[in-house]
Amino acid sequence: MNTLLKIACSVALTASLWGQIQPKVEGHESPADVARRAVEGERATASAPQNNPFESEQDIQKGDVLFQTHCSNCHGTFGAGGRGADLTTGLYRFGGSDAELYRTIRNGIPGSEMGPPQVNDDDLWRLAAFVKRLGLAPPEDAPGDAAEGKVVYLTAGCGSCHSINGQGGTLGPDLSDVGRRRGLAFLEESLLKPEADLPTNHRGTRLLTSAGETIAGIRLNEDDYSIQIRDTSGNPRSFLKHELKGIQRDDPSLMPAYGSLLSEKQIEDLTAYLATLKGMQ
Amino acid sequence: MKATRTGMLWGAALAVFAVAAISVSGQGLPITFERLLNSDKELGNWLMYSRTYNGWRFSPLDQINTENVSRLKVKWLFQGRHAEKFETTPLVVDGVMYLTRPENDIYALDAETGRTLWTYSHRNPPATFNCCGRVNRGLAILGDRLFMNTLDMHVIAVDAKSGRELWKTKIFDYTEAGGYASPGAPLIVKDKLIVGMAGGEKGVSGFLDAYDTETGKRLWRFHTIPQPGDANFGTWAGDSWKTGGSSTWNNGSYDPELNLVYWGTSNPWPGYRGDERTGDNLYSCSVIALDADTGELKWHFQFTPHDLHDWDATQIPVLVDREFEGRQRKLILWPNRNGFYYVLDRTNGEFLLAKAYVKQTWAEGIDDKGRPIEIAGHEPTQDGITHVWPGVDGASNWMSHSYSPITQLLYVFAREERRIFTKTGPPRLPATDPDVEEDEDATRRRTFRRSRPPRFAPEESWGKVIGIEPSTGSVRWEYPVVSPPWGGVMSTAGNLVFGGTLEGNIFALDAETGDPLWRFLSNDRVYASPISFLSRGKQHVSLAAGDVLLTFSLDGE
Repeated sequence: MNTLLKIACSVALTASLWGQIQPKVEGHESPADVARRAVEGERATASAPQNNPFESEQDIQKGDVLFQTHCSNCHGTFGAGGRGADLTTGLYRFGGSDAELYRTIRNGIPGSEMGPPQVNDDDLWRLAAFVKRLGLAPPEDAPGDAAEGKVVYLTAGCGSCHSINGQGGTLGPDLSDVGRRRGLAFLEESLLKPEADLPTNHRGTRLLTSAGETIAGIRLNEDDYSIQIRDTSGNPRSFLKHELKGIQRDDPSLMPAYGSLLSEKQIEDLTAYLATLKGMQ
Repeated sequence: MKATRTGMLWGAALAVFAVAAISVSGQGLPITFERLLNSDKELGNWLMYSRTYNGWRFSPLDQINTENVSRLKVKWLFQGRHAEKFETTPLVVDGVMYLTRPENDIYALDAETGRTLWTYSHRNPPATFNCCGRVNRGLAILGDRLFMNTLDMHVIAVDAKSGRELWKTKIFDYTEAGGYASPGAPLIVKDKLIVGMAGGEKGVSGFLDAYDTETGKRLWRFHTIPQPGDANFGTWAGDSWKTGGSSTWNNGSYDPELNLVYWGTSNPWPGYRGDERTGDNLYSCSVIALDADTGELKWHFQFTPHDLHDWDATQIPVLVDREFEGRQRKLILWPNRNGFYYVLDRTNGEFLLAKAYVKQTWAEGIDDKGRPIEIAGHEPTQDGITHVWPGVDGASNWMSHSYSPITQLLYVFAREERRIFTKTGPPRLPATDPDVEEDEDATRRRTFRRSRPPRFAPEESWGKVIGIEPSTGSVRWEYPVVSPPWGGVMSTAGNLVFGGTLEGNIFALDAETGDPLWRFLSNDRVYASPISFLSRGKQHVSLAAGDVLLTFSLDGE
C-alpha cells in the first residue's frame, strides 16, 4: 500500500470511527446520571417518616439481632467501632436524627467502606433504633443542682471556648447535646481531667515558629508538609512544617483542669447542668 | 452546520492519524499473549494490572528521573465525577488509556489529552454488597478485548475499539450468603481470564475462576476452602468451612516457566471470632499456586493460620529470581498484612524467611516452618482490645508494592497502626429470623456503655514507604508520612518511586535513598497505585486521587 493510500484509508477509517464514537460520548453517563442514582436513594427516603415508627423495646431488641448479623463485623458487638466508626459516642457524621440514621443505613455511605445491609425497610428502621440507643447516655439522677451549675458555666468562662445552641466560642467542642450523649461520670471526668478524652477534631496544638513564637490552638488539618490550626483567638491559620521548630500536641490540654479552679460542689452542679443539655429540639 | 461538522471530523481524523504516525509508544492492538509475556519490553504501554506478570509495577522508562523530576507538572485531569473511591489502575495501549470508573464503567481516553474516546457502562442493581465501597480496580486486555469484573458478580468482555459489549457471564449469585462482589482486576493467562471474588466479611465460600476469553465460558473453578474429598479438608470445625469466606478479591501474578498462577486469599469468616471455626482454616490468609491450565493446586502457604484480625493475604505477589543464601532461586516476596515480610520459594512454597517490617505485637516471631509463634492475649474480645499492632487494616493491604531490578529493592507503602479489635457474637447468616434469635449477651449489649471510648491520636498511626532488601528483609531506607496509606507505589528506571498519601500528597522519591524529590498536593485521598507510559514519545505518570485521575509529564508537555 502506498503512502497516500495508507493516509486515505486511515483518514476514512478514523472518520468513520469518529462518527461512531461521537454519539456514545454524548450518551456517556454524565454527572446528572450519577446524581440521579444518588437521588433515587434520596427520593425513596424523602417520603420516609421523619420519626422512627419502629422504636419499641421489642424493635430495638430485633435491631440488636440484625446489628449483630449485618453491622457488628465492622462496628463491633457493642457498636464501639473497629473497621467501622464508633457508634457509642452519639455523634454521627451523616446526622443523628431518626430519618438521617435510617438514610445512612439504607443507602450506605458512598465513598466509604460502608454499603447497605440486605434487610427490608422495617428492619432498616429497627437497625436505626438500635444504633440510636447505642449513642444515648443511660438515664441517671444527677446529685448536683443544674440551675446552680448553669451559673457556674456562665461565670467560670466555659463559654469562651464552648458553645451551647449557637452561643459561645468555637475552640472547644459544641456542648448543645452533650447530656444526651454522655453520662455523668464522663462529664465529670472531662472537667477534672480534660486530657482524658480529646476529640480528634479539637486537639490542642502548640506550634513553635522559627521566630521563637509559640502559637496555641486546635488542630484543624494536617499533611506531610503543613498544619492548620485555629488559634486561641479563633483565627484559622496555616503553617509550613519546615518553617516550624516544633509541634507540641495535647500536652497539656488547652482546657484547664477545673478540679483546682472550682469547688467539689461547683463541679457537681456543673456536671448536673451539662447533663440537662439534650440538644436543640 | 453539516459542513462544519464534517470539517471537524476530518480535522480530528488527521490529528489522530498524526498521533499514530509519530507515536513511539509501542504497538497497538491486538494484544497477543506473547506480548503480555513480554510486556516488560513494551516501553510505552501498560498492559496489565501490575504491568508485568511478575507483579513488579516497575516502569522501564527513564525520561523522568532523579535529575529532572522537579519539572514534573500536571498535564491533564480526568474528572471521574463519582462519589466512590477511585481505585483503578489504567491500562495504556499505544496512546489510548483504558480505565474503570466506579461502579463499573469503562472509559477509553486519548492518553495525550485525557479526552474521552468511548465509554461503556454496566449498570449494577441499586444495592450490591461489596464490603469496602462500590469500587473497581481495573481491566485486563487480550486481542482486541477488554475484560472487567463487576460488583454484581459478572465478568464482561468489551471491544477495545468501540466499547461494544461482546459477552457477559454471571460468576455467581451476588446476593448469596450476605453478598458476593468482584471488585478486582482480572488477569489474562494464555487464552484464559482469571477472575477473583470478594465477600469475606460475609459467610461466603471463596473461589478463583478461569473463563474462556473468546466465549466467556467458565473453564475451571478452584475452591479456596477445601471441599469434602479434597486434600486438606478438615481444617475447619463442624460445618464452618461452608461459610468460611477466604475470598480472592485482588489481582494475582503468573510464572510462565512454571505455568503457575499465584493468588492471595482473604480472611476466614467470621473475621474476628474463631470459636465456631477452630482449626487452621485453609486456605484462608494464604498464597495459592495453581496450574494455569487446570486450576489444580500445586502448593499453598498460609501466612496467618486461624486468623482473628482480618489480616488478608490479598497482596499482589512479587516474583523475583535471585540469589538467596548462596543459591539462585525463584522467589516470591510477600509483605503481608499481618506485619511480617515473607520470602518463599515459588516452585514449591518452601518457607525461607520472615521478618517484621512494621511494629507488631501479636507474635514473637515466625518459626522455621513459617508458622507464627503467637503471643497470648491478642485475640479480640467483645469489649474490644486496643494493644495489637498492626491494626485491622493491616501493615499492607491491597495496594501494590513495587520491585526495581535496578536498585534490587522491594518498595512497600506500609501502615503503622493500632486500632480496636472487637469479637463479634455467634455467626449469623442474613436469613436468620430476628424473632427467634436472642442470646445471653443481648441485655448486656443494649445496656453497655463504656466510661470512655478508645482514642487513637493521629500521630499514633502513620505510614512509611520503605525500601526492603529482598533476601534479608532489612529496611534500607524509610520515608515517613502522617497517615497510614491506601495507595500503592511504582518504581521506575529513572530511579524514582511514585505514590500518594491519604491527604493527597503525590510524591516522587529517590529509589536509592528515599529522599523526597518532588510533590504535588492534590488534596484528595489516594486509593490507587501509579502507572507510567509514553504518549507522543514522552513519559507520563498517572495516579488517581479522590475522583480525579491526574496525569503528569515534564513541564506539563
